[in-house]
Amino acid sequence: MSYSTFNQEQTNPLAEPMFFGNSVNVARYDQQKHSIFEKLIEKQISFFWRPEEVDVSRDRVDFNKLTASEKHVFISNLKYQTLLDSIQGRSPNIALLPIVSLPELETWIETWSFFETIHSRSYTHILRNLFSDPSEIFEDIVINDQIKLRANDISRYYDDLIFYTQLWQTHGEGKVTVEGVEHNVTRRELKKKLFLCINSVNALEAIRFYVSFACTFAFAERELMEGNAKIIRLIARDENVHLTSTQHMINLWQDGEDDPEMAEIAEELADEAYEIFMTAVKQEKQWAHYLFKDGSMIGLNESMLCQYVEYIANLRMQAIGYDAPFPERRSNPLPWMNKYLVSDNVQVAPQEAEISSYLVGQIDSSVDASDLGDFDL
Amino acid sequence: MTAKLFKVKVNGQHELTVDASEGTLLDALEKHQLEVHYHCKSGFCGACRSKLKSGSVRYLTDPLAYVRKGDFLPCCCVPESDLDIEH
Repeated sequence: MSYSTFNQEQTNPLAEPMFFGNSVNVARYDQQKHSIFEKLIEKQISFFWRPEEVDVSRDRVDFNKLTASEKHVFISNLKYQTLLDSIQGRSPNIALLPIVSLPELETWIETWSFFETIHSRSYTHILRNLFSDPSEIFEDIVINDQIKLRANDISRYYDDLIFYTQLWQTHGEGKVTVEGVEHNVTRRELKKKLFLCINSVNALEAIRFYVSFACTFAFAERELMEGNAKIIRLIARDENVHLTSTQHMINLWQDGEDDPEMAEIAEELADEAYEIFMTAVKQEKQWAHYLFKDGSMIGLNESMLCQYVEYIANLRMQAIGYDAPFPERRSNPLPWMNKYLVSDNVQVAPQEAEISSYLVGQIDSSVDASDLGDFDL
Repeated sequence: MTAKLFKVKVNGQHELTVDASEGTLLDALEKHQLEVHYHCKSGFCGACRSKLKSGSVRYLTDPLAYVRKGDFLPCCCVPESDLDIEH
């Protein structure tokens, strides 16, 4: 079962499942089993952006004006997002590329992960602007208990799938003992681990980012940290595309449109998948509590954030065929969030800036007669 | 463009008249000051996902978000007939 970078067997990609079929050989897109993934590639690439294009220099002035508790909110969120994108910048590649069987999906996975690396680079861009030496912030990510708790829950499903895939690739199916622990490697067991992993990633893309997004946009509502907000808008737009891809995978499995065994597994593990999602919901609420431990910020507090997590959890769960877990939370408690999440409003060139302080290198040429009121001739 | 008017029933309680030649269905819901759910407004995120109980819609752009049976995305479609929807 060892992986070959060019599988020389003649395969028919149209008959392959998304994962655990024959490995991909020719990267061809003239015929596609699930053409949605190529459409997502096109959409994602059309959103290409570079962190350096966004001027964050004014944020330093704003940052110094924030209260200590607001600084805690801002920096903690950046740390958490750095963690999320550190994981997402590599894990889809490492976990999914060795087991993928469709060329369009393989390329989507690489595109997806690549964009997460842009996000990672943008956090450094933001932090380098705020601190002459941001290393303390980065170093805390592997020490901070609140972050570690989340890191563990996000990475373990990936790690489990990667480990079992390695056993399968080196030993094939059957029992194998590693460091005194016996593992029973079967294709079905691998598929179960894949299913749980994709559900965990889906929860990550669906809600784990949104507490941080809400704080960023709440600052922007007060015209603070707007450079940062502009970057986060671009990130949020990308994350919505990534979320759509995991929702597609889960729905395709559930509907039996891909691999009949995965349809069985989706049913068998429906409760476990639900729990993964609800654990993420709980952790996000705890994160909101941690953020506001020293005080809230204008326009946002822990309770509003928790309500928003519930509101968005309803949308996300319904998207993969579950009932809304919080039926009483039908209204959006943070309606202003939407204007930052609308794709059309994302600025693509400096001269299109809507946030007036970010007309980069531009001159405000509007002059009112009252501006000259102080002049005496 | 000539107006193409359809009746749209929302959540079993609001009856709107929507002009299919003017903007998307989501725009129309917003114009009538109903609470709307959306993020991208371009058909790729699926946050506006709603139930189509009766009637048919025409997509202006193909949705990229997964659309489950009985669902539709009002952010990128217009009515093609009178509709009954849950949003």
